Amino acid sequence: MEDLKKLSDAIINGDVQTARSVTESALNAGIDPVKIVHDYMVPAMNEVGRRFDCNEYFVPELLLSARAMKACLELVKPKLVSGGVKAQGRVVIGTVKGDLHDIGKNLVAAMLEGGGFEVIDLGVNVAPEKFVDAVKNMDANIVAMSALLTTTMPAMKTTIDALKNSGVRDKVKVLVGGAPITQKFAEEIGADGYSENAPGAVALARKLIAA
Amino acid sequence: MNQMTSRERVRAAINHKPSDRVPVDLGSTPVTGIHCTTYSRLRRALGLPYEPVKVIEPMQMLAEVDTEVAEILQIDTIGLQLPTTIFGFPNCGWKPFKFFDGTDLLVSEFFNVTVDSNGDLLMHPEGDLSTPPSARMPKDGFYFDAIVRQQPDAEKRLDPREFAEEQVRLYNEEELNYLQSTADYYYKNTEKSLVGCWWQGGLGDIALVPGMSIRNPHGIRDPQRWYEMLVENPDYIRDIFAIQTDIGIENLKLYKQAVGDKIDIIVVSGTDFGSQRGPLISPSLFRSLWKPFYKKINDWIHSNTNWKTFYHSCGSIAMLMDDLIECGVDIINPVQCSAAGMEPDQLKRKYGDKIVFWGGGVNTQCTLPFGSADEVKEEVTERIRIFGKSGGFVFATIHNIQANTPVENIIAMYETVLGEKLCN
Repeated sequence: MEDLKKLSDAIINGDVQTARSVTESALNAGIDPVKIVHDYMVPAMNEVGRRFDCNEYFVPELLLSARAMKACLELVKPKLVSGGVKAQGRVVIGTVKGDLHDIGKNLVAAMLEGGGFEVIDLGVNVAPEKFVDAVKNMDANIVAMSALLTTTMPAMKTTIDALKNSGVRDKVKVLVGGAPITQKFAEEIGADGYSENAPGAVALARKLIAA
Repeated sequence: MNQMTSRERVRAAINHKPSDRVPVDLGSTPVTGIHCTTYSRLRRALGLPYEPVKVIEPMQMLAEVDTEVAEILQIDTIGLQLPTTIFGFPNCGWKPFKFFDGTDLLVSEFFNVTVDSNGDLLMHPEGDLSTPPSARMPKDGFYFDAIVRQQPDAEKRLDPREFAEEQVRLYNEEELNYLQSTADYYYKNTEKSLVGCWWQGGLGDIALVPGMSIRNPHGIRDPQRWYEMLVENPDYIRDIFAIQTDIGIENLKLYKQAVGDKIDIIVVSGTDFGSQRGPLISPSLFRSLWKPFYKKINDWIHSNTNWKTFYHSCGSIAMLMDDLIECGVDIINPVQCSAAGMEPDQLKRKYGDKIVFWGGGVNTQCTLPFGSADEVKEEVTERIRIFGKSGGFVFATIHNIQANTPVENIIAMYETVLGEKLCN
């Protein structure tokens, strides 16, 4: 399995070309796609998160690793779907209404995907009813919301209220994040969790799903 | 201590000397300003007649701080800014504009927006409606944000010079005349300290990477891809920075000829290096990509002028402070005390004799918009006590005062700084 060790290294080093080519050869050689994801991709992204946590990696390194991981996942995903493999959980993610900022949200989405979650990215400026529709139609377990502006933070509460009013609040765990967001704010608006960074969001999502 | 003029007060502070009171900045730069809607309400709360607010910076929709407000709030600074905007059109020929919330504004005659099917406002480079939009303000929003317009084949032909020259060019005669006459006017007719808003050392400033003023921008224009390229292709980035620095220093020579030592402060860079929890990039990347160019710029300024160098970076930059000081940064802004490692007493104790804190006055993400007036007073008092000790502090909020900030809190803040009642 020396070849697949190269995949972990490529993801950790943010080398998109190698990540793609090693995944291709592994799939061609008939290696189980579940094994590729669980034994190599997820641990590699865990290592990337660990390095970020202890200030060995910063935003550029995190983005590059996420890019390499996504290249691998793109190739593996169709095989996982045809094999009927279940993800850890299904996350609906978006930047809230009135807010167009997406680098942080994209990083959280990528880290969640790299952590074995299925991620439905609704993009930016997402209205509360869009979150509600996605929860209803996609059978999601987690709603993850991002905001960068103090003026758009209240939209997180509006969205939680919309989830309540449509009777789906109890079906999902709600995660919030973004520069002006704090644990205190998350508690005030009735979210289930807050993380100050992308790797932390993955840990939180795992914990909430397991609870 | 005898009462000082504004200019004396700021000069004392930036030279780490005591002053009669802490100097105050509002509106001298687009990172120490106030949102136009909040400003409109502030004017009324201060008992001034209702008037349309002039938008001096159309991306963040910042108000021009007029002389009436500056007088009441005893603002000690004034910005020397060219009448150009981040969208590439001149700020002149004012016309009325009704904001989403009904606030009456005055905007440049070139502030031409289109409205998309969602009701979002779209801004076009140079105000030219025949060019695809470069920025968007969501319906009922308060700020514009860049639309990513990186060309699909941009990475096939990366030309650092092309990128650098799209970002910055030599000043023309008209601009230099404007700088000279405006600096002369402010210097002779006010007692305020002049802040030169030069900004051309803002290497890789993520707000400028998308090139919102450029009709057809080349190179890496997607902010997310830009961050990746810092590590993936540092040579491309370094070459851009080198060319921008060379053009920037040529412009500094012209700037010096135009304004001399009438300005006390030169705003060099607005590049953000911090997130809430730590630096956005590794300190080693900062040392290899930015530090040599910052040093070159600061060395030129210190060898040729009496100006103090002003650098803006949001977020947690505690891990970069030693490097910033080593390469000649005199003033740091906005001093985001809520970010990791940016606790006021620690910053002042470690760096207070080496760097001036311009900002740090109050948290604009939490206390000022969402706290009570008493909480604002308490925080402001504490910050002045810590940062104001033995000079080295210019009071400003941590970045601009945002939209939807209660004016009672803003007034409580200035009353605390000035130690007097502002309205009954």
